[in-house]
Amino acid sequence: MTTDPAALELRGITKRFGAVVANDGVDFDLRRGEVHALLGENGAGKSTLMSILYGLYTPTEGEIRVDGEPVQIDSPADAIALGIGMVHQHFMLVPVMTVTENIVLGNEPSRAAGVLDLKEAADRVRELSDRYGLAVNPDAVIEDTTVGMQQRVEILRALYRGAKILVLDEPTAVLTAQEVAELFRVLRALKEAGTSIVFISHKLGEVLDIADRITVLRRGKRIDTVPKAGATEESLARMMVGRDVLLRVDKPAGRPSEPVLSVRDLHVRDDRGLEAVRGLDLQVRAGEIVALAGVDGNGQQELVDAIAGLRDPESGSVAVGGVEIAGRGVRAATDAGVAHIAEDRHRRGLVLPFTLAENLALREYRSPELSTRGWLHVRAIRDRARRLLKEYDVRGGDADSLASSLSGGNQQKVCVAREIEADPKLLIAHQPTRGLDVGAIEFVHRRLIAERDESRAILLVSLESEEVRALADRILVIYEGRIAGELAPDASDEELGILMTGGGSRTAA
Amino acid sequence: MTDQPLDPVDAGAITTPAARLASYIRGGGIVVPLLTALIAFVIAGLIVLITGHNPLTTYKAFFDGTGLNWLFPWTSGDDRTTAALNLQQTLIATAPLILVGLAVAFAFRAGLFNIGGQGQYLAGSIVAVWFGSKFSGMPHLLHVLLVIVLACAAGAAWAGIAGVLKATVGANEVISTIMLNWIAVWVGVWLFGLGGPLQNPETPSVPISSDVTGSAKLPVFWGNPNLQGLHVGLFIALATVVVFWALLNRSTSGYEVRAVGFNPEAARYSGMNVARNYVKVMAICGLFAGLAGAIDILGWQFRLATNDIQTSDIGFLGIAVALLGRNTASGTVAAALLFGALKSGTSQRNLDPSIFEPSLAFNLTLMIQGLVVLIVSTDVIALRILRRGGALNPFRRRPAPAEEEAT
Amino acid sequence: MTLTRERIGWAGIALAVIAAFIAVPPALVRSPVPSIVLAVLAIALGIYAVPGDRRLGWGAIVLGLLAGLGAVAATKSSSGNLRDVFTWSALIASMLRFATPLLFAALGGIVSERSGVINIGLEGMMLMGAFFGVYGSDLLGSWVGGIVVAVIAGGALALIHAAFSIHLRADQVVSGTAVNFLALGITGYVFVDHYGDNGTPDNISRAPDLNLPVLHGGFFDSAIGHLNLLTWSALLLVPSLTFLMFRTRRGLRLRAVGETPRAAETVGVNVISTRYVAVTVSGMLAALGGAYLSVGFVGSFNENMTQGRGFIALAAVIFGKWKPLGALAATLLFGFSSALADRLPTFSESTATLFQALPYVLTLVAVAGVIGRSRAPGSIGIPYVKE
Repeated sequence: MTTDPAALELRGITKRFGAVVANDGVDFDLRRGEVHALLGENGAGKSTLMSILYGLYTPTEGEIRVDGEPVQIDSPADAIALGIGMVHQHFMLVPVMTVTENIVLGNEPSRAAGVLDLKEAADRVRELSDRYGLAVNPDAVIEDTTVGMQQRVEILRALYRGAKILVLDEPTAVLTAQEVAELFRVLRALKEAGTSIVFISHKLGEVLDIADRITVLRRGKRIDTVPKAGATEESLARMMVGRDVLLRVDKPAGRPSEPVLSVRDLHVRDDRGLEAVRGLDLQVRAGEIVALAGVDGNGQQELVDAIAGLRDPESGSVAVGGVEIAGRGVRAATDAGVAHIAEDRHRRGLVLPFTLAENLALREYRSPELSTRGWLHVRAIRDRARRLLKEYDVRGGDADSLASSLSGGNQQKVCVAREIEADPKLLIAHQPTRGLDVGAIEFVHRRLIAERDESRAILLVSLESEEVRALADRILVIYEGRIAGELAPDASDEELGILMTGGGSRTAA
Repeated sequence: MTDQPLDPVDAGAITTPAARLASYIRGGGIVVPLLTALIAFVIAGLIVLITGHNPLTTYKAFFDGTGLNWLFPWTSGDDRTTAALNLQQTLIATAPLILVGLAVAFAFRAGLFNIGGQGQYLAGSIVAVWFGSKFSGMPHLLHVLLVIVLACAAGAAWAGIAGVLKATVGANEVISTIMLNWIAVWVGVWLFGLGGPLQNPETPSVPISSDVTGSAKLPVFWGNPNLQGLHVGLFIALATVVVFWALLNRSTSGYEVRAVGFNPEAARYSGMNVARNYVKVMAICGLFAGLAGAIDILGWQFRLATNDIQTSDIGFLGIAVALLGRNTASGTVAAALLFGALKSGTSQRNLDPSIFEPSLAFNLTLMIQGLVVLIVSTDVIALRILRRGGALNPFRRRPAPAEEEAT
Repeated sequence: MTLTRERIGWAGIALAVIAAFIAVPPALVRSPVPSIVLAVLAIALGIYAVPGDRRLGWGAIVLGLLAGLGAVAATKSSSGNLRDVFTWSALIASMLRFATPLLFAALGGIVSERSGVINIGLEGMMLMGAFFGVYGSDLLGSWVGGIVVAVIAGGALALIHAAFSIHLRADQVVSGTAVNFLALGITGYVFVDHYGDNGTPDNISRAPDLNLPVLHGGFFDSAIGHLNLLTWSALLLVPSLTFLMFRTRRGLRLRAVGETPRAAETVGVNVISTRYVAVTVSGMLAALGGAYLSVGFVGSFNENMTQGRGFIALAAVIFGKWKPLGALAATLLFGFSSALADRLPTFSESTATLFQALPYVLTLVAVAGVIGRSRAPGSIGIPYVKE
């Protein structure tokens, strides 16, 4: 087996998006008939790497070889022609079409003059389905099927095109435990039949269950590739989470007092109608920073939306300072004393074509200081902006500059300034340092601690374990819509990593 | 896709029409509209050339027809008198164009596409001619004010229908305003047609409205009132431009409108009610267009025939005006002047037919309009996903507790 | 049979329809009472049905109101008048004639929108077809030549819309509106320049009517025995297009591109070229509709001849839920209301005018989601960006 060329080889793959390096000299090889897991946190570069493989991106540097031959993959069609099939995390299916139509799209069996031979298509689908044990209903319309079946359709689609290399991107993210077991059974069957599989995941338990070899990526680099034998959740977690060089702000001990935010048995649905928050309880007291740690997609967004008033929960309670605000909208939340530093400052935090003065007024523009009976006090708005820009040391523009002309760090300072200026009881900071440089990160961290010392309650939602440990007085780990556990900030990487990835008390499959 | 990097290109991909236009305005924005107009005129000139006419003399004839040469001190004597008359016509045409342009521009600033200017204008015209022809004993100022207020209300209500539909069921405002345009036309034709409820009782064989009484007519300040002189509607229009600007840039409503137009997500995150803003915006747009109808009726038309209703296209010209003017106050005025000049310069009354046939010129104007809008369309890259309501994007909903599953 | 709210909604609609029909020939009930009773019942059933199925419930209410009003109006007019207006065979023929241009354009609209590109420019493309149909027929001496030229003209205009919308990623609504202006200008200009004051010649070759002697006179002969060739073509196009869209490879790919272009691209379907072809075809079809107006029906061209029919066609696309059969139903409905409006002047001039507004009112109602949820193709209006 070692003399055969690998089914797939990625050598020295580097991908840059402007200044951001998503993949940095990554080597990855896939042997025939093996399941090779690609492990890493968010932003580690897993999906980018696979998008390169599937022809959706071209690598800045590096080479790809299939069966020993160097190849150029410029489009999904090329990848398909090489026998590479991809099952995306967000399914690439046409919701209103049937299972069969989706599977054969682009490669439809037909009779004369292009007339579809749907019967033939259905037969072929059934045959493939039986061969690999992928149960699907050929006539069902996709949007009426379960997520599990949709995934099977995606897999069948790849197999229909003769894929010998299958890439699955976070396949278990949307599956129930039962469906995961089914999937693994299918993967093993495929393995037997000679298909080589790349399994991208952040779930340690599952990876240890299904993979033959495991490659860990962190911040775009390949850390190591290990065989299953000998690997443990702890060793993998350490490689994944790691310890990077980052400034640690001195943090005096906090002095928490009475609870400000009380969330009880909260249930919230996501945009697709699935339950993202499944009966979650948490409490944040004045004068403390509670960090919500976890891998993206475990319900953080929906939780934050519910607290900020942007989303109505299914059931449960959200109370701020004793006032119930669940399901009552953003203004009610704001009036109760909630401020929200949004996760995506371009899309949600700022109006980029507005001036800094206008952006700073977004929350408070109806206050008597800034407007009277519908007329804006332009000068007051501008003066306020000048004051805030100075206080928060925002550089690169003045009150009349457009928000779009500032750097990311300074833009974030503007968001932070605006929210804190509203004098909130509860400050939600959702990924406050995403995409920022070290200096800006330090500023934000310092500011959050200062506000904590002003007796505000701060809920920090972050995907960066470093940040979480640096800022938190208490760490709550969220996993699959519930709090998986509470840790002190001095918890080890392993403890954190395990809780974040559903390990420890949970058994895979 | 959790691995996507946050880089400037990403932000650009989600900007709204208003946002993109804003970057044009800031970035030396006057050059682009000028260039756009120039390109359109050049292409039209080519068409003139290809069809065997002389573009240069043609354009000169247009220009003379606009009366803008009155502004040149070297025009004198008879030429000056003709130019004066022509200029009055140009400005008469410009005034309502400013207003319908504002009606489209204001909507664009909020991220909405108001194609309903024509219907809203008609609503205003109809109400204006209806109430303008009654109450002949009323004091002048009061009568005029009353008619104007009612016409504005009519326009606002007409546009409001589309706004409400969008806010409640998410109906696409493009389709609903187009439909409302045609409904307004037919209702108008019905009202003033033979046997219709508002037909002039004194001329039962003519499908026309009653005449506006003297007490409701707008005073003329330049030229001869009997020969369609320039009326104060121009000042009303200009005053409205100031209102437009103040509303948009100095009021909380305008602030909300702009925020929603630039970034509805962020607006929502700040607690603004996006849906309610849409209704407000549409109503204000309708008000502007209805006002246009009023000043035309009270200023020079004085009556409405079913033929007028069916051939009127000022609402659509308003779209070209707003787009060329980049949806700003000053831009709209300038673009309105351009199109107003073009309209009167190519009219039967003002264009010398020996140089270029007015009916040909009329169609040439349409082509120029089309070219302008076409060129501008590439600026307006609309990722309307952020503003689609239920009818066109079934996934864009905040899940609420007891929501029934809509099929 | 369980009495679900949905079934009650349908019953309400049925009652409303009956209420309307008993007041006109051949039933010709002269008292308004039965109709009013039925209409009120229909409204009541509709109200009851709303919590169960909002669109059916409201549909019944609206139809009940319309039927009640219509029936009352009918009973107020003389039977003679009613018989004149409601000569069903003539009405049907008239309905089909009015529906033909709408149908062509609507089918074109469906093709374009199914690929994900909004086509507001149907009106303009139709107008191009109307003018260049006459122009071509005149120049080439045959109606076939006219049709060919018309289709080319419509396709060319569509190509402009396509280039701006797809390649330059312009806003599709603005681009469509621009194209309408252009068409107005171009057709008017060439018309005046070429034909001047006299208008188009009276004797241009026209598309022939298809006379069906087998029908031996009588009801069917008046109704469908003398329809234009183009009308039959349009009707035949409905099942053909349905087959093409839902039973062939190209159709499947077209629909995939319109729903989820990224998914289609992922399996190697070329989104850009599919959309280009779709938009161009839609222009050609719309032009056929316009050509029918001038070369098939009237025999000449007037400026702005289409009078907004392109927008009614757009309405038919939405009303018919982007399916050819649905568009057929919608265009027949709109055609019927136009046919009625055409005959009503004998009865009441001004009511006829109001009827002209009916297609637009119906579409407004449809867009408001009251009558059926209008589910557009998923990616419509969004320019496709390749990464």
